[in-house]
Amino acid sequence: MKGKHNTLYYWAFILPSVLVVLAVILIPLLLGIGTSLTNSDGYTAAFTGLENYQRLLSDEQFLSSLWFTIRFSFVAVILINVIGLGLALVVTQKLGKVSTFFRTVFFMPNLIGGIILGFIWQFIFVRAFEGIAGATGISFFSGWLADSTTGFWALVIVFLWQMSGYIMIIYISFLANIPKDLIEAGFIDGANDWQAFWRIKFPMLAPAFTISLFLTLANAFKVYDMNLALTNGAPYGSTEMVAMNIYNTAFYQYQQGYAQSKAIVFLALVAAISLTQIFLTRRKEVDL
Amino acid sequence: MERKYSTLLIPLFAVPIVLAACGTGGTTSGPSSDENPESGVNGDVVTIDFFNQKPEITTQLEELADMYSEETGGNTEVTITTVGSGEGSAGLQARFASGNEPALMMLGGLPEIERYSDSLLDVTELEMTDTIIDGMLEGGTIEGTPLGVPLNIEGFGWMYNKEIFEAAGVDPDSIQSYEDFVSAVETLDSQKEELGIEEVFAFSGGENYIVNQFSANFTSPEFNESIIESYEAQELEWEYGDQMKKYTDLFNQYNVQPILTVDYSRSVEELFVNDQVAMVHQGIWIVPTLNEIDPAFAQEKLGMLPVYGENDTEGKIIAGAPFYVGINKNLDEAVVEEAKNFLDWMYTSEEGKEMITGDLAFVPAQEGYDPADISDPVSSDLYQSLLDGETGAMTHKQYPDGWFQQVLYPEFQKYLNGDQTWEEFEENTARAFTEMR
Repeated sequence: MKGKHNTLYYWAFILPSVLVVLAVILIPLLLGIGTSLTNSDGYTAAFTGLENYQRLLSDEQFLSSLWFTIRFSFVAVILINVIGLGLALVVTQKLGKVSTFFRTVFFMPNLIGGIILGFIWQFIFVRAFEGIAGATGISFFSGWLADSTTGFWALVIVFLWQMSGYIMIIYISFLANIPKDLIEAGFIDGANDWQAFWRIKFPMLAPAFTISLFLTLANAFKVYDMNLALTNGAPYGSTEMVAMNIYNTAFYQYQQGYAQSKAIVFLALVAAISLTQIFLTRRKEVDL
Repeated sequence: MERKYSTLLIPLFAVPIVLAACGTGGTTSGPSSDENPESGVNGDVVTIDFFNQKPEITTQLEELADMYSEETGGNTEVTITTVGSGEGSAGLQARFASGNEPALMMLGGLPEIERYSDSLLDVTELEMTDTIIDGMLEGGTIEGTPLGVPLNIEGFGWMYNKEIFEAAGVDPDSIQSYEDFVSAVETLDSQKEELGIEEVFAFSGGENYIVNQFSANFTSPEFNESIIESYEAQELEWEYGDQMKKYTDLFNQYNVQPILTVDYSRSVEELFVNDQVAMVHQGIWIVPTLNEIDPAFAQEKLGMLPVYGENDTEGKIIAGAPFYVGINKNLDEAVVEEAKNFLDWMYTSEEGKEMITGDLAFVPAQEGYDPADISDPVSSDLYQSLLDGETGAMTHKQYPDGWFQQVLYPEFQKYLNGDQTWEEFEENTARAFTEMR
C-alpha cells in the first residue's frame, strides 16, 4: 500500500517536467527531423528524402562555417580553461578583500549579454584600435574586423572575455573543496608549491575539468548573439559560425527544411563531441 | 485522500499557462496594448492588427490608429505590432505559422507578397487604389492581380552635402554625366584639407543592404526598369556591370577606409551629418535621423545626385515603394471590411493625408499632392521626378531570397578588399542568382 502511494507521488511530481521535456524538446526534435526531410520554406513543404543531407556535403559556405566554428571552439576552450584556472588560482590566494574584489571584477563580463558585449567590442576594435593605429602608426591595430584572420581572433578575444570569469567561479569552488590536510601532508612530505599544484590540486580538480570543458565546448559551438553583434559574418561571410549560417538559411533564404538538416547535423556533431569529452574526462576523476 | 491528489495536479495545469503567457513575441502597442493583438470581432468592437516592419514610424502609426478609432466612435480598434530591422519578415512568418494572422501587413517586395498570396485580398476594390501613381502598383502585383498597395515612396542615390560642394566650387547642377561626376570627386579630393573633410565618400561597405541598394542602379536598366521583369528574371547577366565597376573603383579610392567596417551609423550619423564627408550612398529615409541631429541639415545642405547606371550620360535616382500593405482576406468579414476602410481612410481622408506628409514625412505614392507640401527639398524633388517618370525601379527588392545577404554582399566585399577580380564577382553572383531563383 505504502509503496503504491510512493509511486503515485513519484509520477505526480515528475509528470510536469516530463510533459515540458516532451513539449519543448522531444516533440520539436522529432518534428525537426521530419522537416529536415522536406523542402519546407516555412509555409509549404514537400517530402524530399535525404536530398538536403546530400546537398550539405557540397555546400561550401556551410562547410567553411563548420570548420571556422571547430577552430574557434578548439582555441576558445583551451584558452578559457587556462585563463579561468589561472584567475581562480590567483584569487584564491589569501589576500582578503582584494581577492573578493577581483573575483567580482573578473566575473562581471559574464553578466553582460552577448549582444551588448559584441557591440562594445565592435567599438573597441573598429574605433579604439583604429585610433591607436592612427596615433602610433602600428599597423597591427588597423582594420581588425575587416580581415578574416583578425576577425577570428576578435571573436576569440570577446568570447574569452565573456566566459573566463564564469569558468573561474567553477574552478574556485572546486579549489576551495580540496581538503587542506591533503596539501599539508604533501608539504610535510617535501613537496614545493609547483609539485603541490600538479600532483595534488590538479588531479583533484578533474571533476571541475569535466564541467568546465563541457560548458565551454557546448557554448563555443553554439555562439550566435556575439557573432551577430560583433562581425555578422563579415568580412564576406568568413566569420559566419554554424548557428548563424543555419539562421540565415532559414530566415534569409527561407529554406527551412535545408536549414533544419544543417541543424540536425550540427546537433549530432555537438552531442558526439561533448559526450566523448565527458567520457574521457570522467575517467580521470579520482575518489578520495 | 482525493483532495491531496487534486492539489498535486495544480502544477500540471499551471505550467502550460505560464508557457503560453511567454509565447507572445514582438512588441505590441496601440490603444489596446494590454490585450492580445489578435484581429477579430469582440461584441461591437472590431479589432484589426497592423503588422508593421518599420520601427521608425511606430509612434506615428499609433497616432493614426487612435485617430481612426475616434473617427469610428470606438467601434474599431487598430493595434500596431512592430517587428523590424530585418527581422520583420521572419516575425510575420511566425505570426502566420502560429495562426494569429494580422489583418493588415507590410510586405517588402514581390517574393514576400507571393509567399502570402493565398491570404491576400485583391486591392483593386479599394478606393485609394485609383489614386496611386502610374506604375507604382506593379511592385505589389502577382500574376496580374494587385495584392498590396504601396505604403510610400523612397528613393536613393548619392546624397551630398551642398555646402561642401559649394565651398569646393562645384556646382551640383552642372554634373550632367559620369565624367562630370568624376571631376567633381577629384576636385573635392584635391581640397580635402581646406574643406575639412576626411574623405569624399563614406560608402557603408559594412552594411549588406547598402550594397544591395547600390546594385539596383545597375540592375534596374538590365531589367528595363520593371519590377515584374526583375522578379521573373531567371538570370542576371550584369549587362551594366562595367558601369558598376567604374563607380565601385571610384568610391573605393576616395572612401573612408577600411571601407568594410564603415557601418550606417558611422557613415551617416557621424561623418556625413558632421560635414566630415561630402557624399554617401543613401536614401531619403535618413532625413528624420538628420533632423534629429541637425534640424537645418536636410533643409539647407542635403541634395541627391543620380547614378549613371545605364550609360555615362543618363542619370537616374532609384525610387519605389519599399513596402506594400496587404489585407488578409481569410479573417472574419467584418475585420476585412474594416481593414479596407482603414486603408482608404488613411490615404484619402484629409486627416490621413495630413499625417502622411506631416508627421510620417512620407513621399506619397499617390497623385494629387503638391510637391511643395512635402517635408524637405530632396523628398519634394523626388516626388516631382516620380510624377515625371524619371526614376529607376527598385529591382534590388526582387532578387532571390537571401541572395543579397549571402552572395552579393560577401562577393562585393571580396572585390572591395581586393581579394577577387570583378569578373569573378560577376561570375559568382550570377551563378548563385540562377541557382537560388
